Amino acid sequence: MKAFASKLVDLTQKNAEKIAWQWAKDVKTNLKTNSYHDAPEEKIINQASEFYKNFQEMFFHEAPFQLAEDVFTKYAHERYAEGVPLHETVYAMILMRRHIWLYAEFQTIFSAEVEHRKAVESLSRTILMFDYIIYIISREYWKLIKMELSKKEGKH
Amino acid sequence: MQAYAAKLINLIESKAENIAKQWAADVMKHNRTPSYHSLSKDLVVEQGVNFYRLFRQMSLAEVPYEEAKSFSWKYAEEFYQQKIPLHEALYALILMRRHLWLYAEFQGTFVTALEKQQAVESLNRTILMFDYVSYQVTEKYQQLTMEGVNKKLGIVKTFLMGKLIGGMKNTYKLAFMAVLLIAAGILTYYNHTAGKVVVFTHLFYIPIILAAVWWGKKGMLVPILLAIILIASHSLFLKDAPFTDDVIRAVMFIIMGGVVGWLMDSVKKLEELYEPFKL
Repeated sequence: MKAFASKLVDLTQKNAEKIAWQWAKDVKTNLKTNSYHDAPEEKIINQASEFYKNFQEMFFHEAPFQLAEDVFTKYAHERYAEGVPLHETVYAMILMRRHIWLYAEFQTIFSAEVEHRKAVESLSRTILMFDYIIYIISREYWKLIKMELSKKEGKH
Repeated sequence: MQAYAAKLINLIESKAENIAKQWAADVMKHNRTPSYHSLSKDLVVEQGVNFYRLFRQMSLAEVPYEEAKSFSWKYAEEFYQQKIPLHEALYALILMRRHLWLYAEFQGTFVTALEKQQAVESLNRTILMFDYVSYQVTEKYQQLTMEGVNKKLGIVKTFLMGKLIGGMKNTYKLAFMAVLLIAAGILTYYNHTAGKVVVFTHLFYIPIILAAVWWGKKGMLVPILLAIILIASHSLFLKDAPFTDDVIRAVMFIIMGGVVGWLMDSVKKLEELYEPFKL
């Protein structure tokens, strides 16, 4: 597992700041992520660069779902508290994933024909990570909405 | 569209039912999609087939984002009606994509180096489609949830007479109530001094209900005041007549004001509860 994907993971980790900056530029103008348009650039760059820096750990972790759960439960709580709607949070994550790949393509790391097999495997693994993340974020939002309702019901 | 994806698209279209069956078997026992476990298999398979068949349309469309909406919105509506939580519906979509790819791999669709290159491109295209669908399903599902809340709030607002007299400023409400109370006093005085037997006290329920709607239990002051007016007037001007009827009326004012006020307080709490989820 480690051999085939290390190229993509290394690239992501080394260039975390650059990829995060490109993602932030995108998310701040994308029509599907309105809530990010007025957010301070530095803050959202930090969100992404933290993620990209931890990408390696998640990528090679034996139980990536558990690790994603630890990291993204907090992430979901923060976005929920900021009032970002779920569909925008999900789309921002989709863009986060897309920018890893865009950067890798831009750098043409999988240019040789023989490397396309590695590309498919890296891509599949990356997608799996993000599938977990999106599931965890949407589940947490659901829990938070339910919690907010029952808290209010309790008060009354 | 691009020739590279044709192989995958053809495979998906011709084997839609097979892939959908595999997906259904997975989603109906997966621990992240428990709400699907009790659904009918035919229904789940049909959903898979519908999507896999739509895949060609979506892939060939000039604006795939718009094309994806026809599936996404229907999918979100169905799951919203079946009360399946959004994260489970999203995970089912993820499995839908995964099964598509698993089937292609299992069929050995992309073997040679050139085909591997095509695989990367096909995979990218597939992911793009699913990204659109995930976003649209999430957006639509939330929209449906909020519409549901707004609909419920609409009923609440009707109770609160939100758009009519409930929307008045408190000063106007107080002034209007003062006018009604003065009118009630004049009406009582006129009828009691004239010795008329008209059941005018039914009109008192207008200020009583209005006070309860506007101020909830605090509005109890109005039926108490009206009860005092009625009993005081009776003792001043109808000394010889029995008290029983007017005492019953006065008690009924207070009971009615109390019950409606208590109900309206509950309705207001319900409105506050759903306030953050309004559109």
